[in-house]
Amino acid sequence: MNNLLTIVTFTPLVGAILVAIAPGRYARMLALAAALVAWAASLFLVIGFEPSSSRQFQFVEAYDWIPAFGIQYKLGIDGLSLVLVVLTTTLTWISILASFSPIKDRIKEYMVSFLILEVGMIGVFVALDTFLFYIFWEIVLVPMYLIIGIWGGVDRIYATIKFVLYTLVGSLLMLVAIIATAFAYQAGHGGNWAGAFDFTVLRTFGFDPTLQVFAFLAFFLAFAIKVPMFPFHTWLPDAHVQAPTAGSVILAAIMLKLGAYGLIRFTLPLFPAAAQTFGPVIIVLSLIAIIYGAIVALVQPDLKKLVAYSSVSHMGFVTLGIFVFNEQGMDGAILQMVNHGLITGALFLLVGVIYERTHDRTIAKMGGLASAMPAYAVALGFFVFASGGLPGLSGFVGEFLSLVGAFEYSPWVAAIATICMVFAAGYLLWMYQRLVFGELSEFLKGLGHHLTDMTAVEILTLAPLAALTVVFGLFPGLVLDLVKGSVATVLADATRQDPVQIATQTAVVLVALPILYVVGRLIWVARIDLGGGGGGTAVVESPAPEAAS
Amino acid sequence: MSLADLNVASPVVVAILTALAILLVDLALPGRTTAALVTALGGLLITAIVTISVGSGVATTAFGPEGLGMYKLDQLTTFLDLLFISIVAMTILFAPDYLAPRGLPLAEFATVLVFAMTGAMVIAASADLLLLFLGLELMVLPGYLLAAYHKTDGYSTEGAIKYFLLGSFSSAIFLFGLAFVWGLSGSTNIHEVSGTLTQVTTGAIPFSPGLAMGLAFLTTGVAFKIAAVPFHYWTPDAYQGSPTPVTGYLSVGPKVGAFALILRLFVEALGPMKADWLPVVVVLAAVTMTLGNLVALTQDNVKRMLAYSSIAHTGYMLVGIAAFAGGQSSGISALLFYGAAYAFMNLGAFAVIAALQKRAGVTSQLSTFAGLVRREPALTFLMLLFLLSLVGIPPTAGFFAKVLIIQSAVEAGGWVGVLAVVMVLNAAAAAFYYLRVVVYMFVRDPVSDAPGLRHGALLWGGLAAATVLTILFGTFPGLILGMVGDAARAITG
Repeated sequence: MNNLLTIVTFTPLVGAILVAIAPGRYARMLALAAALVAWAASLFLVIGFEPSSSRQFQFVEAYDWIPAFGIQYKLGIDGLSLVLVVLTTTLTWISILASFSPIKDRIKEYMVSFLILEVGMIGVFVALDTFLFYIFWEIVLVPMYLIIGIWGGVDRIYATIKFVLYTLVGSLLMLVAIIATAFAYQAGHGGNWAGAFDFTVLRTFGFDPTLQVFAFLAFFLAFAIKVPMFPFHTWLPDAHVQAPTAGSVILAAIMLKLGAYGLIRFTLPLFPAAAQTFGPVIIVLSLIAIIYGAIVALVQPDLKKLVAYSSVSHMGFVTLGIFVFNEQGMDGAILQMVNHGLITGALFLLVGVIYERTHDRTIAKMGGLASAMPAYAVALGFFVFASGGLPGLSGFVGEFLSLVGAFEYSPWVAAIATICMVFAAGYLLWMYQRLVFGELSEFLKGLGHHLTDMTAVEILTLAPLAALTVVFGLFPGLVLDLVKGSVATVLADATRQDPVQIATQTAVVLVALPILYVVGRLIWVARIDLGGGGGGTAVVESPAPEAAS
Repeated sequence: MSLADLNVASPVVVAILTALAILLVDLALPGRTTAALVTALGGLLITAIVTISVGSGVATTAFGPEGLGMYKLDQLTTFLDLLFISIVAMTILFAPDYLAPRGLPLAEFATVLVFAMTGAMVIAASADLLLLFLGLELMVLPGYLLAAYHKTDGYSTEGAIKYFLLGSFSSAIFLFGLAFVWGLSGSTNIHEVSGTLTQVTTGAIPFSPGLAMGLAFLTTGVAFKIAAVPFHYWTPDAYQGSPTPVTGYLSVGPKVGAFALILRLFVEALGPMKADWLPVVVVLAAVTMTLGNLVALTQDNVKRMLAYSSIAHTGYMLVGIAAFAGGQSSGISALLFYGAAYAFMNLGAFAVIAALQKRAGVTSQLSTFAGLVRREPALTFLMLLFLLSLVGIPPTAGFFAKVLIIQSAVEAGGWVGVLAVVMVLNAAAAAFYYLRVVVYMFVRDPVSDAPGLRHGALLWGGLAAATVLTILFGTFPGLILGMVGDAARAITG
């Protein structure tokens, strides 16, 4: 089957159409079936993939789409894409299953949105044409906008518009950069557009340093917003807190990876010189993200916001690993992407479980869940330890490799990042202690028999994630062997040119701006998140306060 | 006038005959809207067929000496004619659902529209400044009538008077500018004007203050017609006051017509002096899109919001002109594609509003859209599509249109390249107000519990056409790129 990638990518679309046509009562089952078929198809990719092949991309499909500009429908995967595609298909069916009971309203639209979201996400990972990539990248935006906006919490409209605007600003600038790179290629080939959007061709082109700097910044902004890297992360806590549980799961587990994937796939090979120039700045931003995310997570009164900020911290390890430019760092970054997907996805599911029963997420109101919900306490404990980086579980390996890579780059960087892991243990264990141990709180007692333990479906959604966490923790080689080729190619590409020498003044400005922003932001955050009495929603300017349903 | 001339100009002739036929049918069978509709749509179909059949790859002129005639038929003319015909046909399809409940006659509406279309077609075919002005007036005069079509409605008349006054002023200013250019070049023929101006750029003829004034007046006059900032003040009132199908037409028909005027006048006649007017266009484009978007952000009436957003889209289209002036002829094909894409998605959006207003008394306030998905799911999803296309989200027509414009601007480089960045930042800001409508449709609870309406088959047919075109232009732009490219090459060489 040489159209396997198309099948994997567009099966959810077929599913979405079927769900839209069929009567509403079949929506749940049809959506789950479509997601499972896509998942099964993606497993065929794993079977057919040859890790030791010398070809960079496999399962390649290429058709002319807009020949006038050399735009192709070109798909293909390497190990990195494969891992992320399977992660996507796996988490999508889990999320759809997890939505069965919480989503009661407009179930049909919800399932259609979710399946189209899956098309966009898979498409981003498999597209080898920069234009096609951009299209999938934007397609992701619309269903997520609807998922947060329609099925989200009280301040969902503020959160969803903030999410869209942030992402759109970054991605539109990336579009300009995509066109600029294509034009530079076309101008370098005597006005022939053929191949101007083809990643495999552009990779070897070697852009002019000035273009590299600007195009890198545009791509980087788009990806950094998605990751999200400090200081572009402010949309994330709002979006997470307001999104429905499954929306949060997909947001954390897959959508953040879109940004990291873009950094590895496009920015490093296309703009190696600029990437090396900005590497140190990005490492500093990553360190800030790691520490800042952890500190802010420590003081969150809202369970979901705590997990959201921990995402910022964990994704800091990913960007750190990418921009130290060595094998361990990159391996660590990729593993961390997978692990973060599994573990944070599971944590959001667990937050959803408790929210289903209490309609509250305030940590202070909880307590003593161990006695009322023993299975829940065990599951939460497992993923809390996994997230904190307990050796033997997958979270540990990723962060460890990132740190090894960082140490090779500079011991100081590694030292700072390691200190932060203490914070991570701090916020996770403190949260666990407040939630699970002690007497059952008055608030929970008041719920009486509504406070039931996890249902079979809920356990079923968590079980595969737990299993994979253990498996990848013990045998990280399963992932690392698959991505070995990708990592080597990307690193070779990324270090093939010397850094761009930018004038000192420019460098000072470029470094000073983010730092100024950081300082300003910290002051702002100190006012709202720490001092402002609870940071539950720091959204005084919400445009639609009366939008309760 | 020879028979050959008549053959070249046959699309315009058939269009005029169509307008007259509708009048006659209405005279013979008063009040029979079906007969008028059949005549109008049939006439438009014939016009389209004639347009396609006389169109050819070779440019021919009529009404004058060989190659210097006043009327020019090239692939740009054909493309623009077909676009105008589709815009008017769609407007007629969308109108009955809105007009009938308000007791407004359909036949006159269709007649006036077809006359306006004839004017636009004359502009598209002008090879002479006089004919250009004639076409312009023939296009905008029916527009004033249409704006005041709901004559018992205060807003409609107010908007129409503003539109009329500013429109007449701008026409006068434009004519004044034409006079200056004629005074310098001694000819009204576009080809000869262009030749004289080439001599100006080479220094053979001095750049006189009179010519500079002429350029300034022409730019001002045209800026009024396309509603570029700061000449846009008539737009919001005229758009909000007009009956909704008219607003839909006004936001695309005269706009594409005015851009046709720009193509014939600035690109063809004043093309040699493009280095002189480039800075003006760059500033106009940047200011127009930014201000249009900023003001649109604060509107809570959807028609008014779309009016300001149409100002912003004017700014985007001007980027195409700027790219041409910056040396990239791809700017013209990008502009033509944008014009077509914008026409269909914007008409679609207005058609949805018009359909909702079938129930008399329904306003175009945002609250009308609250909870719409529960009452009118099909219309809601179509509106979602049109709005996403207006934002520029793939895979819709609006997205690819923006891509083409950005591409030509990036190729032109320099300040036009900066304009591309300004444009994408604007597009991101625009997402906010378009998506606000989506929020109302999907998230808010309905304010009234009125049941859904039954809409006419014509409306659904028109919406289906707009939908298909919006998706098709976005997914398979190659289908129309060739046509757009040919049309652009007709004037850029």
